[in-house]
Amino acid sequence: MSDAVIISSRVRLARNLRDYPFPNRMSTSQGEEIAEKVREVMCGKDFCGYKFMAVKMEDLSEFDRVAMVERHLISPEFAAPDSKKLLITTENEEISIMVGEEDHLRIQVIIDGFELEKAYEIADRLDTELDKKLHFAFDKRLGYLTQCPTNLGTAMRASVMLHLPALKESRTVARIAANLSKLGLVIRGAYGEDTESVGAMYQISNQVSLGISEKSAVENLRSITEQLVNSELKTRESMMQSFEYQDKIGRSYGILITARLINHKEAVRLLSNLRMGICEGLIEGVDLATVDSLMLKIQPASLMRLKGTRLSPEERDRVRAEIIRSELRPR
Amino acid sequence: MKCEKCKSREANTHIKKVVNGEYTELRLCSECAKALGYDNVFDLEMPDMFGGLLQSFFTGALPARSGASRCPECGSTYGDITNTGKVGCAKCYEAFYSELLPSIKRIHGSASHCGKVPLRAETLEVEVNSAENELKSLKTQLQKAIEEQNFELAATLRDKIKEMEAEK
Ligand SMILES: [Zn+2]
Ligand SMILES: [Zn+2]
Repeated sequence: MSDAVIISSRVRLARNLRDYPFPNRMSTSQGEEIAEKVREVMCGKDFCGYKFMAVKMEDLSEFDRVAMVERHLISPEFAAPDSKKLLITTENEEISIMVGEEDHLRIQVIIDGFELEKAYEIADRLDTELDKKLHFAFDKRLGYLTQCPTNLGTAMRASVMLHLPALKESRTVARIAANLSKLGLVIRGAYGEDTESVGAMYQISNQVSLGISEKSAVENLRSITEQLVNSELKTRESMMQSFEYQDKIGRSYGILITARLINHKEAVRLLSNLRMGICEGLIEGVDLATVDSLMLKIQPASLMRLKGTRLSPEERDRVRAEIIRSELRPR
Repeated sequence: MKCEKCKSREANTHIKKVVNGEYTELRLCSECAKALGYDNVFDLEMPDMFGGLLQSFFTGALPARSGASRCPECGSTYGDITNTGKVGCAKCYEAFYSELLPSIKRIHGSASHCGKVPLRAETLEVEVNSAENELKSLKTQLQKAIEEQNFELAATLRDKIKEMEAEK
């Protein structure tokens, strides 16, 4: 049962048009020209079997842009209101293309669950079709050419988002991090500012992209993820023997369904405990999908987007508690 | 433009981030950026954040000169690239190949691409190459896995290599 641990899989490819300078050196008109070209190729018809729509970042409200960052659809870098920045997505947002980020194109596929191969297969197909029309910069020695040398080679980042409450609690994440870096992988907290992840959500991705093929990088990540899932589940099993821990989970649920004011950090921490309680059979009547969608919904900008208005931090705490209560209420 | 933090040094780092639901931008000098934990890969003394893979992009011996002082395509100098942390265009990689190479090797532990090659005119050659590339990549990884004593991974890789060599 890997959905107890694995939230989603993602593959991202960086690509640049060979006939234009990289984003830091291009003019506004060159940037708009590229955006227009990509839009022409992808939108208004079937492309690779998908229907895409495009939106200029400058046409969106701040809530909308920041909420996109909160649900990991775009990078903070891309949230700037800028006429060169165009976001192309499918309706369900599984596939997205950021045009005018750190590279001309960032092709991204995010799929719920453990679907690395499928995510790569889609990204690869899109890349092949796009290259026929846009002609990406490539060098035999260095692979796909990118604005930052850290992305050279395949220019691919594959990642999985994992919920690792037991490994976090037992303080093994730091040790794992050191070992992962030897294998060319990196682990980071998926939410929050600091390296310490709020809510025990982590993202593991490949750090090296030159000298390793896409296929090998994906397989590497898959095999490491499987090992992590196993050790997380084992650690959970022994942790759940303790009444102290069972109590902590029960109390978390209690607070979530009764609180009238709750800040973001506390909510994420308690939802993380609840999520583990559900997976371990301690809490019944709430499904994982509800918890996962709450994790996204209760972030500050996402709340304001939902309400369609700016809210003070105190108002957000109230609205957040209200949403959590109504979604977790036993049916 | 002056740095927004110390208000004295020239700002050269543009940070965009989301804090508590709000989009914010900061323009900082490299010292203040470093103090706040925003290093870029071209920084000289990057802390060993992720166990060393990304560290110190430009430490070590002075890079060799490949002759070009400006990229003929976009006009970047090598100094522009290290200051901004960004390469100017695809041609820069040709113009400053020997200067960039040591850093590229340091980041990736390799400087030869394996993996996808875009389909262009030479379709046939490309197909052969990508199978060979794949094999090359697997072998490098096997070596690494053995060094790391990750025998589980090594066994899987060895089987893959056998399989691929049999197909040839
Ligand atoms: Zn400063
Ligand atoms: Zn250039």
